[in-house]
Parts: sequence; structure tokens; C-alpha cells
Amino acid sequence: MRDETQIERAIARAFRPQRRLSRRMFLRQTGRGAVIAGSALSLPAILAACGIGPGASTAPSAGSQAALPSAPAGTLDFANWPAYIDIDEETGDYPTLAKFTEESGIEVAYTEAINDNEEFFGVIQPDLAAGNPPQYDLIVMTDWMIEKMIRLGYLSELDRSKIPNFDANALDLYKDPWYDPGNVHSMAWQSGITGIGYNPTLTGREITTFDDLLDPEFAGRVGMFSEMRDTMSLALLSLGIEPEEATVDQATQAKDKLLAAAQAGQFRNFYGNDYYDELANGNLAVTVAWSGDVSQMKLYDNPDVEFVVPDTGGMLWIDNMAIPNKAAHPLDAHMMMNFWYDIENAVPLTEYVGYFSPVTGVTERVLEDAETAEAEGDQEWADALRVIAETANPTDEVLANVHNYRKLSEEEEAQWNDLFNEVVAG
Amino acid sequence: MPRHWRWLVPYLFLIPGGLWLLAFFVVPMLVMASVSLQTGSLGTGYALTWNFGVYPEMIGAWAPQFERSLWYSIVVTALTLAVGYPMAYTIAFRGGRYKSILLLLVILPFFTAYIIRTLSWKLILADNGFVLGNLKDIGFLDDGFRIIATPIAVISGLTYNFLPFMVLPLYVALEKIDPKLVEAATDLYASRLQAFLRVTLPLSMPGVFAGSLLTFIPAVGDFINSEILGSRDTTMIGQIIQRLFLNNNAYPEAAALGFMLMAAVLALVFIYARFVGADELTR
Repeated sequence: MRDETQIERAIARAFRPQRRLSRRMFLRQTGRGAVIAGSALSLPAILAACGIGPGASTAPSAGSQAALPSAPAGTLDFANWPAYIDIDEETGDYPTLAKFTEESGIEVAYTEAINDNEEFFGVIQPDLAAGNPPQYDLIVMTDWMIEKMIRLGYLSELDRSKIPNFDANALDLYKDPWYDPGNVHSMAWQSGITGIGYNPTLTGREITTFDDLLDPEFAGRVGMFSEMRDTMSLALLSLGIEPEEATVDQATQAKDKLLAAAQAGQFRNFYGNDYYDELANGNLAVTVAWSGDVSQMKLYDNPDVEFVVPDTGGMLWIDNMAIPNKAAHPLDAHMMMNFWYDIENAVPLTEYVGYFSPVTGVTERVLEDAETAEAEGDQEWADALRVIAETANPTDEVLANVHNYRKLSEEEEAQWNDLFNEVVAG
Repeated sequence: MPRHWRWLVPYLFLIPGGLWLLAFFVVPMLVMASVSLQTGSLGTGYALTWNFGVYPEMIGAWAPQFERSLWYSIVVTALTLAVGYPMAYTIAFRGGRYKSILLLLVILPFFTAYIIRTLSWKLILADNGFVLGNLKDIGFLDDGFRIIATPIAVISGLTYNFLPFMVLPLYVALEKIDPKLVEAATDLYASRLQAFLRVTLPLSMPGVFAGSLLTFIPAVGDFINSEILGSRDTTMIGQIIQRLFLNNNAYPEAAALGFMLMAAVLALVFIYARFVGADELTR
């Protein structure tokens, strides 16, 4: 999968020589955009899903604490999303990961294996259900998926004594979250907001609300997410319904609203990560979007784009590190988790990925680095860092208008999926 | 080996292939059949309840995508035949010493991964990319014109991706034809067109048949072209199966759809064989 991702990056690079991209951003950008349905479409993913299928007759009992060995194994299999860690564009190495290896002696097999929560879950689920050791020791999943995996007993409990940095340095927003009370199974990686990204030169006006996405004036130039929870939740909010409390009847109303627009040809398509390119290159005038993406796009790909939290409300998502049951190297995974909550390591991560950091004091440190860069005469980098500092933490105003996903029971989830499948498949 | 065991030899040769098919075709098919008739959920697990109702339910839910996949594939097969036949004909009869190079060119796209080839079209034909963008700049095309995210893009993508599967069997069939037969036909006062229609075309039918199957069958189940080049309105059944399997973990529903897709393809291939005549294959 990794190889495929890298080849796709290369080809995307070949076709976009004209784009004004700093070298640093270029790699991550092509990574993010070109990954497209890479893993979704890979044969192994499907084989993995259907080969074992629902073989396990019962889910394992609630997750138990991994029996940690006394010494690290010296290796760690870490699955993460594309372009979600700092990369040295010259060599393709991961500098902060290399620092971890240097300090701990643990070799990290880092793979950008995750393009979509549900698809990745579909790939690892058979092993987890069958009680087999999973392929990865450490995975990064979005809050609602963490909640689901905890419910299914697929995640092991964390040993707090091995992750002191979290208790010392995590921001309150990421402690004791709704999807994992007491952080028993997970720790935030980065977070962001699902809202609206748009290009004012194409829309010709300011976009403020979800219903702007359904304005016939933009027919065929609107993007939607193929991820059920984000799209349904924003639609629910636009109907004045709190997603966390939504019933299946209310979800049906949201479906009807989306379906009517889809059938009228309002949406160009339903996108995964690939919406980024479509918005950056002007194929989309307005689209559902993730906050960090749009600030990066503004900096490096298309200065015109804007991100807005719809006045009806946006969705706050938190991606989390977690250890699947029976992981082969749990102590190494704990050490990795602890490592990222050291501000020295959290800062380069944020300066690269540009999402909300869960670590205290990152904003101030990014601003300091901007001062340093300016003093050294690198004005472009200083400006970029200032933009990143601004978005490294959500403001109270933003937090007042964002919502959490609903904890869907399996039955509800199947019903919501059925509703949403009607919307995405014409 | 004693003489009276000799009848066994051909069967011994079948063993490796037979075991392979058993392990990687028959067993998975049985597992799929079983899965399609199970009910349950991730939390409670799945149990075989002989839930045959899932089949009509899935047909009811996804008939439009089914029809669309079949329809697209028929069009794609016809297009690859229309484009591929002249190609194969030219290579076989006019290729001369360039035959190998021309054949290499036909399969050259396979040196790049399928997804990447498809992805490239998305970039090449982007709304404001270097093809459409320039045509729009000179006013040849309307600003709102697009190819990506339309059925044309999906059908073209499929046609492009499957063309070599049509050309190669056609070439093999055409190459075997003895040019003297065509000469004989013209000696007997057949026009070139008549000679083609009465001699070359019938003799190449096994290639047409094989090429059509090799194009049609994978095209029906394809989910990559529509995913990358299409839109909501081009959703094909392969995408639905993929989504049900991986995104929704709806294993029984996806397995049932997979089975029905196979049945539909078998039925169509059977009808086609009756029309074209399976005897053409054994000629």
C-alpha cells in the first residue's frame, strides 16, 4: 500500500509542474491529494475484508490492559493517515520519528495505511474479531471510530504509568473526552473541524451556512464527503438538530434533504481526501472541508480559498492514537504515544501538519519559531508559521459552534448507513 | 508406470490446477455463499440463518446500479471491439517486421499500475487542466464544460483500460489466418469487402468472442473507473459491493450482491455464446 501511495505521489507530481508549491508542502500535498482511493481500491484491502469476514462468532470481551513486557521490543508498526507527520522533503525521512528511534532504540515501521476510518477498520476488523494479533501496534482513528472500537472490545487499555507526558501536557479539551472517558484506551493525535471550504472568486459571495452548499447557483460545483458521519451531521445541524441527539427519523430528514439536492445534480461528487485537489484547482467552488486542509491550501496551493464553520454548526473531530488488542509491541507503542506529548516533539509535528495540537504551549512555541525565522531572514516561512500558530488551537468562539458525533449503536449505524448509501449512490 | 495406469496421466496433470481452483475459487465461493446467508452484527457475531431474503432485498435496493454496470460494459465491449479490431487487423496483416514492436505498444500501458493509469486521466482531463483549460482559453469550449465526473469519462476510462484485453485475442485469431485463403477468395472474384466478410471475419470470431469476454466480465465488476473518473450518477455495482464490505461491514449484503453479479454475468455470457456460437471457439 505504501508503495502505491508513493508511486501515486510521483505521478501527481509529474502532472502538476506548474503549481506554485514550496518544496516542503509539495510532498505532503501530492500525498494527500493523490492518495485518493488508493487503499480503498487496493485488492489486498478487499481480500483482507472478505477473506475472513464475519468468521468470529463473538467479539472478544471488553478490551483488557495489554500485559506490558518489562523492556521494549525495539520495533513498532505504526499506521497513520497520509501527510499526517513531519516529513523531510529532501530525503523522504521522518525527522521526528528518527529522533524517537535515536532516543529509544526502537525502529518504527511507519505506514500511511489509513485513508478512511471505515475502510481501515474493514481491513483490520477480521483479525481483531478473530482475536489474532493485529498487523499494527499503533493506529490513529477518529473519535467516533475509537468509541466503536472500544465498544467492540478491540482496543487495549493504556498503562498510565508509561504515558506521564499525557497527564502533564495534554490540553483539557483532549482529557476525558466523550468517546473515551478517562482516556482509558486512547490519546489525541491531532484534531480539527469539519466545515465548509470555498473559493470566493468562484462563489462570488461569502458563504456562511450549510444551505449555501445547496444553492442551485452552484449546481455541479459543490463537493460533499463520502464519509457518512460528517455529511449527515452537518445536514442534521442545518435542520436545527443536534447530531449527538439525533434519532433515526431525524437522520431520515437529513437524508431526504441531501438526496433531493443530489438528485437535482447539485453535487459534483462525494469525495474522500481527494476533495482537496478539486477545491484547490477550481473544479469545486464550495465543498465540505476539513479545517487544517483549507489553511494549508490557502498558504501553499490556492490563496483564494476560505474555511468557514457554518453558522448552523460544524463538527469537531479528534484523531487518536490507540493500541489494538494483542498488539505485538505494546510497550513500544506506549513509548511512542508518550513521546508525542513532549512539546519538543509536538511542535515540529504541528508546524508540519497544521492541525489543532493537543499539547499545551504549542501555539507559543510556533510563534517563537516564527520570530526566529524572521530574524534569520526567512520571511516566507515566518508568515507560514504565524498562520499555523493561529490555527494550532481552536478559539473559544469556534468551540462554541462545534458539535460531537453521535454514539451510534450498531443497529442505528446500519440504519444510518442505509440512509446515506441512498444519497451517495445514484 | 505400468501400462494400465497410463490413462491416469492427463488427470495427474490436472491436479495442480485443480487444487489451485479448489483452494482459491471453490472454497472462497462456498464461504461467500455461506456469508451471504448469515445474519448478525460485528458486536454479536454472525450466524448462518439461511436468510435468502437478502437476495431480493439487494436486487430491490441496487437494481439501477446493476443495470448501469451491465449497460456500461456492453457499450465498453462494443467500443473496444470497434477500436481494437482495426488495430489487431493492421498489426496482424500489415505489421510486417514491426509486429512485435506494435504488440509491445499495445501492452505497454500494463507496465503502469491500473489505478495510476486511471488517475492520470483525471489529471489530464481536469476541468481546467492542460487539455480542457487550453481549449476553454481559446473559446473552443464553454467554461462550464467538463469530462471528468460524467458517464463519458467512466466509459472512456473503461474502454481505455480494457482495450489490450480485446486487441490481443483478436490479434492471435487474425494472425493465424492464412493470407492465401483471402487470396483464394479474391481469385474467385470476391471483392475485398466480400473476402473480409466471408473469410477473415468468420475466421476471427474466436478472437472476437474471447476478447469480448475478457473485456466484458472485468468491466461489469469494475469499481475503479467510476470511483476516480465518475460521479454519484455513474455509481457501478462494484462500488456498492466495495462500500458495503469495507465501509459498512455489511458482509452478507455484499456477498449476496457479489453472487448475483456473477450469476448475471454467467447468464449474459451464456446468451452471447448461443448467439456467436460456442462452436466458433473450438474451430
